[in-house]
Amino acid sequence: MISVSLFFYFGIFLAIVGSIATAWGPGVSDPVVRTFNTEIASIGVCLVLLCYNHVLALLTLLATTVIITLILFRAIIRLEEMGADV
Amino acid sequence: MFVPQAFISMYLPAIYAGLIVGFIGTMAIAINRRELHILILTDIVGLAMIFVVSAVGTDLAEALILPGLVVELAETLAISEILITREMRKIEQDPRANLAKSSSIFPQAFSLDMEIMTTAPNFIALVLIGYGIFLTGFTGGAVAGGGIVLYALSKKARGLPVLMLDGIAGVSGIAWCLWIIGFLLFFVAPQYWLLSLFLAACGLLLKVASKVGLIGLLMREDIDNE
Repeated sequence: MISVSLFFYFGIFLAIVGSIATAWGPGVSDPVVRTFNTEIASIGVCLVLLCYNHVLALLTLLATTVIITLILFRAIIRLEEMGADV
Repeated sequence: MFVPQAFISMYLPAIYAGLIVGFIGTMAIAINRRELHILILTDIVGLAMIFVVSAVGTDLAEALILPGLVVELAETLAISEILITREMRKIEQDPRANLAKSSSIFPQAFSLDMEIMTTAPNFIALVLIGYGIFLTGFTGGAVAGGGIVLYALSKKARGLPVLMLDGIAGVSGIAWCLWIIGFLLFFVAPQYWLLSLFLAACGLLLKVASKVGLIGLLMREDIDNE
């Protein structure tokens, strides 16, 4: 039997570490790296939602994370092609 | 008791974690100067919101997380569009800059000639849309919208014409009407709760599916430019 609280605290740990990595982590001046680092925090939130039995919220979070990543990549690509300061 | 005993002991850690994550996100937003980075960091603050809401631990939390996520998605989409448009205007005003015409989410041209590329997307899109209509509600809308996006992308990536639906804004209005009628009926005539539930669910299905289809439309315009 795996204890639920282990997953819960590991989710919290991942979320905090991921948000620190997004804010001040190595190489975050590149927007692509920053976008990938948000995924770590997102996985942490997924674990917490799993512990709370919020299935619908978990599925919606996964779907919106994918769509938000696509939107951000589109914005990054277009801005970099136009030669903007990103 | 509505909240299980296990969730009560998880309440304080979740709230504190949400506060810490939100503090880190807002501090980084305050330090950063570039708009695109601020847009990415807004995602972190959204995750902090999910932490605080999920600490409630009942069905109410689930019901509150869904609209929060959708609003965050719409907000990100709108702000990224504004950033791109503003940068385009800056470049147009500068006579020395030359605007590159091709810009797409798929940087490389997609030229594969296989039978499965012409038949499989239609079938998968059909299955996704059918399953989405069966599910109804928010999840069904997301699944059906995913089917629409897949169909539009797979058709346009091969350079084929896509059936244009101009009345997609009208669908959104009908969806709102269904939702409001269902909500009203729920209070006026509670004995028809099943009917009102299904009205609201179908309205939400149309709403979300048309919104996700709109994202596919945006990406299709990108590919059009090639």
